[in-house]
Amino acid sequence: MASRLILLSEGAEAKIYLLEVFNTKLIVKHRISKPYRHPLFDKLFRERRTKTEARVLSKLYSSNLPVPAPLFVDPFNSIIIMEYVPGKKLSDVIYQLNKDVVNSIAYRLGKYVGKMHRLNIYHGDLTLANILYSKNIGRIFLIDFGLAGYSTDIEEYAIDIHLIERSINALAPELSKSFVESFWQGYMEGYGENAHEIKNRVHEIKLRGRYVEERLKKRLEHERYR
Amino acid sequence: MTIVLGIESTSHTFGVGIVQRNYYGIRILANECSKYIPVRGGIHPREASLHHAREAPRVLKSALDKAGISIKDVDAIAVALGPGLGPCLRVGATLARFLSSYYSKPLIPVNHAVAHIEIGKFVAGFTDPLVIYVSGGNTLVAIQRKKRYRILGETLDIPLGNLLDTFAREVGLAPPYVVNGKHQVDICSERGQNFIDLPYTVKGIDLSFSGLLTASLKYAEKIKARQELGDICLSLRETAFDMIVEVAERALLLTGKKEVLLVGGVASNNVLRQKLETMAALHGARYEGTPPEVSGDNGAMIAYTGLLLYEHGTTIEPEKAFIKQRWRLDEVELPWLLD
Repeated sequence: MASRLILLSEGAEAKIYLLEVFNTKLIVKHRISKPYRHPLFDKLFRERRTKTEARVLSKLYSSNLPVPAPLFVDPFNSIIIMEYVPGKKLSDVIYQLNKDVVNSIAYRLGKYVGKMHRLNIYHGDLTLANILYSKNIGRIFLIDFGLAGYSTDIEEYAIDIHLIERSINALAPELSKSFVESFWQGYMEGYGENAHEIKNRVHEIKLRGRYVEERLKKRLEHERYR
Repeated sequence: MTIVLGIESTSHTFGVGIVQRNYYGIRILANECSKYIPVRGGIHPREASLHHAREAPRVLKSALDKAGISIKDVDAIAVALGPGLGPCLRVGATLARFLSSYYSKPLIPVNHAVAHIEIGKFVAGFTDPLVIYVSGGNTLVAIQRKKRYRILGETLDIPLGNLLDTFAREVGLAPPYVVNGKHQVDICSERGQNFIDLPYTVKGIDLSFSGLLTASLKYAEKIKARQELGDICLSLRETAFDMIVEVAERALLLTGKKEVLLVGGVASNNVLRQKLETMAALHGARYEGTPPEVSGDNGAMIAYTGLLLYEHGTTIEPEKAFIKQRWRLDEVELPWLLD
């Protein structure tokens, strides 16, 4: 057999297939139509996300960031064929890793995300489920850029970090403190100058959440000592 | 046998509910409420609180009459201390502190958001659902973990109910916001035929509605025919609901939960319900909504949650029962939650 196709997983918006052609592994990402969406919107939606994902992947890959290389794009049928990258979802394996490994992953992740933001690209869905970790080669890969985009607004970068912090908090609260510290170390290096602006914005976003007590306290203190 | 009386006054609704635990289980004995409906504009906190203060004695009495009990039969008083509007919260808190100290009944502090979720779980018979909580004050997706509700995703700016209400008000469709159980935006959507491309903002499991609101209002300024307003309402609603469903779908796949529960004021919306039901079925999860009597703000949910808290020994001294306008869902420790 020259080729075969296996369904790997079914995500929230796409089916992921493993395609083997002459012993070369490829990934096929097919965005599926959703019965709950308005039909007109559904088409527009899938086309737009496929295009953005392909564009962003190509830019990141050519900038030496650990993402799968996009090889073929068909926006009208919402299909992307990309390079196969090894590894398991960090959200699944994080419980089995020791603290040093987790911190090293967090540090590298911070560095990559910092570099990505330097290229004016945000991920838009940066959770532990969208980071692959391969034990064998000890590398991480960023995947699933369906919600990504280009922006020079640091708000978008800060939201990426807010999402990853929340993801670790929800899934492994006991690891989150050192994870976040290592992440920021890497990020400072990857993003370089002015990384603290983004750090401040991340804090600000947290306070913007609904019914956060700290916001009220801050305002009252401000009024009292003015 | 335990009877708990619950008082709700966080926003537009003043409600008193009474629940009873006996040998057979838990039963809602009464769920009476009075809603403040603004003549024009949105909720004015002072006007709403005056309404609550005026209506409180009547609602309390009618709840006791419905349940066929006297205040002396009640074992504990539960009250929603937050989150919500300060002036409104104070009416409920004052009444609860009075009842508690005058009749020497234990006082139980209840978080309004927790109550919405717990009553939903109770009615649906769920134990460990993915919770989608949409109302005028909240839009979030949560799961239970380590004795708390953990927020997986939420709105980064305005909540869903606020989006729909503000749009309806600004374009002159409301008040009243809801007619015969249907929101004005839904009614207007029935005239819509064309889909307008509006900002769709999903960030991971978070979402943002403010861009969608601004863009919809800008379109609405330029319209010439009634038909076009229908198109905008349809597109606004579809975009907003699709965002919620997408976020819910992401959370469902991330957590692998087998139950999907919709709670909060907007849970009574049929269109949203159908979309979520379809989504849950795609992934083999059970979906349950919350019936209108207990999905909007009500006293029964406060009484029910108060009963659970009371049984786990959570009470508060009346002199320490301050209201908390800001009291996040994930701050509350709940001993009965599964890990």
